[in-house]
Amino acid sequence: MKKEMGAKAFKLMIAGLFAISATIVPVTASFAAGEALGAKCTTEGESTGTKSTSLVCKENKSGRLVWAKVKLSDSNLAPIRPLRAPRGSIEFWHWRAEDKAIFDKIIADFQDLNPGVKVTQVISNSTDYTNTALNKVRSNPKAAVVTTFRGSQFNQAATAGLLKDLSNEQFAKRNVIKSMMGAGQYQGKQLGIPYQSLFNNPVYNIEIFKKEGWKLPKKFSDWISYCKTAKAAGYVPMAWMGAFRPQALQIINSSLMNTASTDAQLNAQISAIDTGKDPITIKWVKDMAGKYADLRDAGCFPDNPKGVTEAAGNTLFATGKSPILPTGSFSMGGIVKLNEKMDGNMGLTGFNFTDDVNARYTGITNNTFILGINSKAGRTEQRIARAFISYLVNGEVATAYANGTKQHVTVLDVEYTDSNLRNTASIMSERLVLAPRFTFLNQGVRDILEDALIAIVGGETVDKALEEGAKLIKQKLG
Amino acid sequence: MSKTEAGARKGASSRPQKSGPRGRLARSNDRAYFLMAIPALLVYALFYLYPTLTNLRYAFSEWDGLQEAKFIGFKNFTRSLTNDDTFYKVLGNNIEFTGLVVIFQTALSLLFAIFLLKNTRASVALRTLYFFPTILSSVSVAMVWQFLYEPNLGPLNVFLNSIGLDFLALNWLGSETITLRAVAFTQVWFHTGQMMVVYIAGLQQIPQELYEAAEVDGATRWQQFKSVTWPMALPTTAVVMAYTTIQSFRAFDLIYAMTQGGPNNSSSILVTLIYLTAFNEYRFGYAATQSIYLIVFILVLTAIQRRLLRTRY
Amino acid sequence: MIYKVGRAFGLTLFSVLILIPVLVVVLGSFKGDLELMTKPLALPERWSFDNYRNLLEGGQIANNFKNSTIVTLFSVLLTLFISSLASFGIARIIHVSGKVLLLLFTMGLAIPAATSIIGIYQLFVTLNLTNTLHGLVIINVASTLPISIFILSAFFRQIPTEIYESAAMDGAKPFRLYRSVALPLSRPSMGAVAIFLFVITWNDLLYPLLLITRSDLKTLPLALIDYRGEYAINFSMIFTAVMVASIPMVVMYLAMQKSFVSGLTAGAVKG
Repeated sequence: MKKEMGAKAFKLMIAGLFAISATIVPVTASFAAGEALGAKCTTEGESTGTKSTSLVCKENKSGRLVWAKVKLSDSNLAPIRPLRAPRGSIEFWHWRAEDKAIFDKIIADFQDLNPGVKVTQVISNSTDYTNTALNKVRSNPKAAVVTTFRGSQFNQAATAGLLKDLSNEQFAKRNVIKSMMGAGQYQGKQLGIPYQSLFNNPVYNIEIFKKEGWKLPKKFSDWISYCKTAKAAGYVPMAWMGAFRPQALQIINSSLMNTASTDAQLNAQISAIDTGKDPITIKWVKDMAGKYADLRDAGCFPDNPKGVTEAAGNTLFATGKSPILPTGSFSMGGIVKLNEKMDGNMGLTGFNFTDDVNARYTGITNNTFILGINSKAGRTEQRIARAFISYLVNGEVATAYANGTKQHVTVLDVEYTDSNLRNTASIMSERLVLAPRFTFLNQGVRDILEDALIAIVGGETVDKALEEGAKLIKQKLG
Repeated sequence: MSKTEAGARKGASSRPQKSGPRGRLARSNDRAYFLMAIPALLVYALFYLYPTLTNLRYAFSEWDGLQEAKFIGFKNFTRSLTNDDTFYKVLGNNIEFTGLVVIFQTALSLLFAIFLLKNTRASVALRTLYFFPTILSSVSVAMVWQFLYEPNLGPLNVFLNSIGLDFLALNWLGSETITLRAVAFTQVWFHTGQMMVVYIAGLQQIPQELYEAAEVDGATRWQQFKSVTWPMALPTTAVVMAYTTIQSFRAFDLIYAMTQGGPNNSSSILVTLIYLTAFNEYRFGYAATQSIYLIVFILVLTAIQRRLLRTRY
Repeated sequence: MIYKVGRAFGLTLFSVLILIPVLVVVLGSFKGDLELMTKPLALPERWSFDNYRNLLEGGQIANNFKNSTIVTLFSVLLTLFISSLASFGIARIIHVSGKVLLLLFTMGLAIPAATSIIGIYQLFVTLNLTNTLHGLVIINVASTLPISIFILSAFFRQIPTEIYESAAMDGAKPFRLYRSVALPLSRPSMGAVAIFLFVITWNDLLYPLLLITRSDLKTLPLALIDYRGEYAINFSMIFTAVMVASIPMVVMYLAMQKSFVSGLTAGAVKG
């Protein structure tokens, strides 16, 4: 798409674009209103999509809210075409067995475009991947494309110098959405490209909410009354999976998001806990933990909460016994596999732990599945990896991935046709913060804090749980 | 011709000589026998002992597995002994777990061996059934029992609730007090059949005359057990207990797959702690220290058992 | 009387305890996940072979099977050979070095796997043995030598010395003693150890997980855990995989039932 053109041609193009886009871009509430470049708009920050040609509503020089060219990438130039790969073979390491089939297709196409090139997926489940992948790729020159989890694992890889610097790569600047790249940055360098864009917010059953005539809770007291109402009506208000810590504490993101008045303060206070400077008995953590006790007392969680497995939690939601699954958009694919009737029946809603509807943040987003080039791989292998990643961040390829796996991505020019992805696009208009859970860099400390919160949900008092946890953290870091 | 045969040729002299414990033949035979053990020793030492020992030296360092290790002397050791509640908690868990498993697995396998001692068709069929769980992989067993134990949807609690025993429908894998025992139960379920078979062989060697004599003296079943069965089966008991102990210390696969050591480390035993410390927290040095404790612990425990049961095996 | 009642009760209880999980797994493999979670003990509404089809088509089951068979066969045979040789040697050594050797090997039983795997991984990487079936065989042999020698040396020690002595009188050297005297006598316990090793090696997850990342080289149990996806566990597929993975064990077990029961205990008991 050409950028530099005369104003008149521009207006014509926009009119044409509007006509086309009105039929194929995801239908969001704003779309009926007639966006056109330069035209008036109402909600600042709202955008029409993640295409390089999309429009976003922002203030112009005279202070009026108008539709402007969205500049989602870090460049004014259009996304680049995929790079050519030299001959050879590499391994693509990741943990998503559920994505294997789609990646197989993508890889097959990549290999067709680049004869003499072979890419093999190496998949292990997420627990093993977190535990052993870095160690293994370090001594494997063929493991050229290495994916990391945001947070502790990416940090480990970065500090150990395992990831090649991508800061100067054109595709890192032109093909992806800039605001979503933070998760792959370390000390100012882009060491990886986060591929997935997730929304760690509760998933709700659209039909049930409609049937019962409930409104989506917008503040904490709304959530309390929702729980009481839903429980009285015979539902399990939240399908919370206490037996599996990684999923159980997806909600820690929501509970953390408004505990500070600025981003800097939020990062600082989390870092203080992470490094042991502050104990978890400090007031802000105590207040946050108290909310978990409140939710517990309102009956939000299932019976025997600490024993509910992932499978059980998903079943509760998929069978309609629970109107809310407190995990995130990434669960949708699995739910549909469990019960096809849930396809198109799921939406996302923010989980506001404060009673202020104008709180700074109302929702969570996360960028993970960080694609990186293994700096310990062979020279040719690294070049193939580079080409492969450039291929993955191509709009068409990413579109196939997104719709096939029911996940949002960080790539520009992606067409979301899957109904679940479109239903959840509205979350993008919430005030989203990047999942704070992953700013904890010390896994041991984070696990202890999360265990304390799980204990609270299981019935422990806030004080006791936090005191015991504080002691354990002190010993761990001491 | 194998290496050992050549070695044996070299070691033993060609003329037949006087045999006897201290004779020259005996000693040179010793050399030949020793040489027979060399292949095993080489494979074992190179591919198993050597990597383990190189890892254990990190017990004196701080190492994240990826970068350079930092030597810190005995800090890890003092830390785990004086400033690590989790270590003691897990140690306590391990003792309780092993204790429960050894007692129940030994007792139940002995009991079922007695029940199924006669080689009738029915007994053999039941023996086959009871042995079955052992051949499953531990991950399979873990997944199945995790499913059975699910507190709200799992068959166990659903059944208990349906017959009105809901006070028994506990939070099997989600309660800090119960989880360890629930996992121990699964471990016993897993291996009782295996130990039962060992006991059957041992019991079948006890001469019938001893029982007949006891019956003539008017001894009840229980008295026969106490005076004949138990003492005669002591060597078997020693083997069963030793093997069960070691097996319980190594139950990593089962526990990790069922609960990952949770909730809150209440079902974590030493091996799971070591694994998580190394691979979840990237603290390989500290994990090596814990490993040393584990190895020492097992060796001491088995030595004590041997002493107590006063048998050689 | 009490005994009869107690016995009947105990046997029934334990039998039920074993049959129920087995039933859940067997029936579950024919159900979809939702039905499995909501009605685990009921007969499937519709006996669906979908799971089996997915497993056998999508996965590389035939390949996994082949890999497991090759690795297990070679590992067991090699271990049996060198451990029986070593066990015989250890059993016959009069000098205290025999006891030392035995202790060295038994120590291997006390070492937790988590301790050795880092070192093993690095060694195998250096020797280029990762992602190879022969590498897997080597580590299997090295790690099963302790238990094998533990059991076999006990058995060899049991063989009355007179039998050895009379053969020695005829001029038999140590290796000849091993081959013509000890081996034939030890057939039952070798058989038992063989079955033992077969089960351990076939079901092993640890070393394949550590050393094999190429999907075409994975063994059966390793492929089984791939059904734990990142955000959902597909229980019905897992149960189907359990069924498929267990079939060889079950078949072998039923066929060799007699030696399982008798031979398994031959050496282990009289120690």
